[in-house]
Amino acid sequence: MTLILRREGLLSQTLLPWAPERTGDDAGDEAPPPTRPPVRRGSPLAALWLPLRLAWRQLRWEKARLASAIAGVMFACVLVFMQLGFRAALFDSATALLSAMRADIFLMHPMTLVSFKPETLPRVRASQAMALPEVQAAVPVYLAQATWRNPENGTRRAVQLVGFDTESGVMDFPGLAPLIDTLKRPDTIAFDLRSRPEFGDIGRLLRERGPLPVQVGNRMMEVAGLVEIGPSFGADGNIVMSELNFRRVVKERQVSAVDLVAIRLVPGADRDAAMARLRQLLPDDVMVLSQPQLVAHERNYWETATPIGFIFAFGSLMGLIVGMVIVYQILFSDIASHLREYATLKAMGYSNLYLGRVVLSAALLLAVLGFLPGFAISAVLYDVVGKGTFLPLGMETGRALGVFAMIFTMCALAGLLAMRKLRDANPADMF
Amino acid sequence: MDGSRVSRPPPPVQLRGVTYAFGSGALARPVLRDVELAVAPGEIVLLTGPSGSGKTTLLTLIGALRAMQQGSAQVLGQELAGASEAQRVALRRRIGFIFQQHNLLGFLSARQNVAMALELDRTTSEAERLERADAILAQVGLGDRGESRPDQLSGGQRQRVAVARALAGNPGLILADEPTAALDRQSGGEVVRLLRDLARQRGVPILLVTHDPRILDIADRIVAMEDGRIVPASQAEPVRAG
Repeated sequence: MTLILRREGLLSQTLLPWAPERTGDDAGDEAPPPTRPPVRRGSPLAALWLPLRLAWRQLRWEKARLASAIAGVMFACVLVFMQLGFRAALFDSATALLSAMRADIFLMHPMTLVSFKPETLPRVRASQAMALPEVQAAVPVYLAQATWRNPENGTRRAVQLVGFDTESGVMDFPGLAPLIDTLKRPDTIAFDLRSRPEFGDIGRLLRERGPLPVQVGNRMMEVAGLVEIGPSFGADGNIVMSELNFRRVVKERQVSAVDLVAIRLVPGADRDAAMARLRQLLPDDVMVLSQPQLVAHERNYWETATPIGFIFAFGSLMGLIVGMVIVYQILFSDIASHLREYATLKAMGYSNLYLGRVVLSAALLLAVLGFLPGFAISAVLYDVVGKGTFLPLGMETGRALGVFAMIFTMCALAGLLAMRKLRDANPADMF
Repeated sequence: MDGSRVSRPPPPVQLRGVTYAFGSGALARPVLRDVELAVAPGEIVLLTGPSGSGKTTLLTLIGALRAMQQGSAQVLGQELAGASEAQRVALRRRIGFIFQQHNLLGFLSARQNVAMALELDRTTSEAERLERADAILAQVGLGDRGESRPDQLSGGQRQRVAVARALAGNPGLILADEPTAALDRQSGGEVVRLLRDLARQRGVPILLVTHDPRILDIADRIVAMEDGRIVPASQAEPVRAG
């Protein structure tokens, strides 16, 4: 062995790597040139990292092209964020009234599609529900719309009226608790602080002048305090009052026909079990819903029975397609203008798959680089637009992750499309 | 060199009856007819001939850039007739290519370009690759230009980087296609002599296609082609003189 090694040491200066004298030592190697072992496997990370680095170096090289690509992704990102934000905001605001109603269980007529056009159910169902020992209290809720005269300039506008037994404590609204005693007085109402400004700046007037007379329907009422509900599709503003005061405003309404029944359970009762028993107990003209189910029912109407859901989904899709076309164009022209270089890499032994990874890495880099500023801009726009339109626009983690996934998919698709151009990089044409 | 010419191991390049045609059916236009060629270990072979004589097609076949049609081609122990795409890609990694244009990646520095030839071998570390790139750049006389991008280098320097890139992966064979065509007389001569010296040191054979009569002197052997065939040596003399 030592002899052979020494001989090899002597010979290696004058002999070629695959000279016959050496083949005996390298019998394990099948490939003739032993200067390079035939197959070596390295870390799989390098297989992802190196193409990514190459893609980044290439993107970074042409600043203008990189900037326009990032702008394209950012544009798509902002568009999708705004569409989804508006969609969520409209659905949230559409269900603002029902979301603000706090009770354990609600009864509603099964044919009621949407809360501002309710189908009435008999008032007696509230009393029937009391038959269950778990039910502590059940109160009828009346909904109606009436005109509201703006106390500042006299303009008239439709307002949503909510009347129920405020003393019973079965149903609550944010801010209602301290007003319960006041609302017992005749012709008093609580005004929704978040109603649109067209109703007048009631909050300021109330602070300055104290209880404020306003005209609701054909009756003068007194604003005694403020609650927080928020405008919805059905109505731009809300007022809450006792059942008795509701009847004073809406005289034509029959007491026996109610729009909702709110139920409070005894503390510690199982809500789902109580709901199941109520369904058995009550006739078919009643739908038993928990508060989230009530909100979902309302939301379902806006989502399926109106084009709103479709409009915003379509808008988001358009944004993604535009973004994809932009990213595809950038990647495609990048490949087209570097065909010689790509072909050279192929001649050097880089596989189509490897170069595909380079293109895909570039696409995904653009996704990340475009998303970050897009996210920041959208967050600012949410704030600005939300304040301007009184829509509950806000950045949510779930939506941000969803949009990132969409942008990522969009860029990946663009990358996969652009990869087809790599086939044109034919190393045989290089010579 | 002659001492190594023993018939037992296969020579780096051994072509038998290689025939190739572009197009198919009635439109088929043959470019190579029954080509027989062997390149011995360490041999520097120049391939000359008028344009359209098929030298470049021959080079792309040997370089595994094209699929074979007829005949047999053993290159670095790999039979190319019927070889799969993956086998051809693997073979290309063991061949150093030098093109008419330098074809360096414009967005990479010289040493990064050279290191690209080493990145396919995933067992090397980044530091190792750059070190080897620097070492070989020094050998082509560009030790101080490692950080320069191709657009900051002269034509001759770029082609020298291309030579360094071709040699960096320790190839078993170098294929060059008119490497001096885009260069002036002086830098062209420098580049091919550099290539010859470095290849000789490593014992790497070179197959070089050229029209350039000024570089014929670097060859161990000159092979002339005409009309898709290798011209016998006696008839090739006029080409050499031209």
